[in-house]
Amino acid sequence: MTATRALGWLSLAALAIGIGWGLGLAPREETQGNVQRIMYVHVPSAIVAEYIACPLIFFASVGYLWKRRAEADRLAHASAEAGVVFMALTIITGSIWGKPTWGTWWTWDARITSVSILLLMFIGYLLLRAATDEPERAANYAAVLGIVLALNVPLVHFSVYWWRTLHQPPSMLKPGPMTLSPEIVRPLLINILAYAILFAYFVAKRVRILKTEAEAMA
Amino acid sequence: MTFARRAWAVAWKDVLVERRSKETVNALLFFALLLLFVFQFALGPDRERLGQVLPGLLWLGFILSGLLALGRTFLVERENDCWEALVSTPGDKSAIYVGKLLGNLLLIFSVEALVLLLFVVFFDVDITHALPALTLVIALGTLGLSAVGTLFAAMTAGVRARELLFPVLLLPVQVPVLLGAVKATEAALAGEPLSAVAQWIKLLVSADVVYVVIGILTFDFVLEG
Amino acid sequence: MMPDHWGFVAMAYGLAAVVLGGYWRRLARLEREVAAPRTRSRAAR
Repeated sequence: MTATRALGWLSLAALAIGIGWGLGLAPREETQGNVQRIMYVHVPSAIVAEYIACPLIFFASVGYLWKRRAEADRLAHASAEAGVVFMALTIITGSIWGKPTWGTWWTWDARITSVSILLLMFIGYLLLRAATDEPERAANYAAVLGIVLALNVPLVHFSVYWWRTLHQPPSMLKPGPMTLSPEIVRPLLINILAYAILFAYFVAKRVRILKTEAEAMA
Repeated sequence: MTFARRAWAVAWKDVLVERRSKETVNALLFFALLLLFVFQFALGPDRERLGQVLPGLLWLGFILSGLLALGRTFLVERENDCWEALVSTPGDKSAIYVGKLLGNLLLIFSVEALVLLLFVVFFDVDITHALPALTLVIALGTLGLSAVGTLFAAMTAGVRARELLFPVLLLPVQVPVLLGAVKATEAALAGEPLSAVAQWIKLLVSADVVYVVIGILTFDFVLEG
Repeated sequence: MMPDHWGFVAMAYGLAAVVLGGYWRRLARLEREVAAPRTRSRAAR
């Protein structure tokens, strides 16, 4: 069994455990009720997107410009694609979570807003790759853009956070603060691990496809 | 030639070309004027409401004009078949980036000065007390916009759908700068000292430093492509 | 105390399955497309 396929089965197993725990074993949260279980999808997606995909894109892009290795370029490309998937998932689940708890489909809360900006940035990254004809030029441009976007992530994170928390409109509906007991943190961590493994599987598969494509064209 | 002299040569060349043809500057200034009329028609004559959104409107005007100006950064080179000459310049090509950036800053500052003046006229705002703080904020925000815009303009110069891809790439990246600039402008117009919005100023400065440094470090790779 | 909104939970997990599963299927399709021309040209020889 190849390493990629092993990753695939591992992620399936981890997801099964994580989802089962989040939906079943984990307790019903006090202030929000069972709707809180959406957090076991929303938060891991956000963490994978912002703290795994983005740094990976940064280091792969820098690596490509520095060493000119095609593997680095493929890693950046694959991470951006999978990253976009997890960013979209974060926003979708965040929106669904927001409707019953905050009363609206769109809450402009710091996490959803900043991940939305990340999504727009990295869709642009994929569009740039698609719009550049020569593969070497595409790799160059994408690497430079990848560095700019990845360095922009903390700027986005803080600016949006300050934007939302420093000027709280008093009329906004807010759910009560959530209790983060260990019974909730444990399934959260399991799910974060599971989604990270799934991300690794997606990236490994995508890199392999890109490599096969490149070899076929050579 | 030293780095600074080469950068200055590029900037000066752009200024001369522009002064002779005046095509970009005039069209941009006119665009800014049109924008303000459109804002008025879209938002109505209610002074109260306009007063509240004034900082945001101001930066909307700056960004829209900036997009147009920055998108054309390398147009002259492309239209006149000078792109290869640019690419084959010996030595450090980052001087070209700095030169282009300086030229863009000069252009955009001129447009922004006009936009600001038109705002004072159309929306009847008194900004004399806020002018020093306002100038600083506008300078910081514009530098952030132009630093990334100049880099992206070079990047999108040779790709398909470049007129669409340029704003698509630039706008999301500009969100932190936009947020910081608008918040700081609000404070400046309200007469508050800039220390009240210290973290936004710090954000703008950090962003500017990051963007300019990255522009200088990576411009070679963009031209290479 | 909030009423339970299992419908929203189902929607969220369901859409997660659709999004993640959908991307997985796209990867599987790409894998097939990339492998196919090579095997076809090998068979032709």
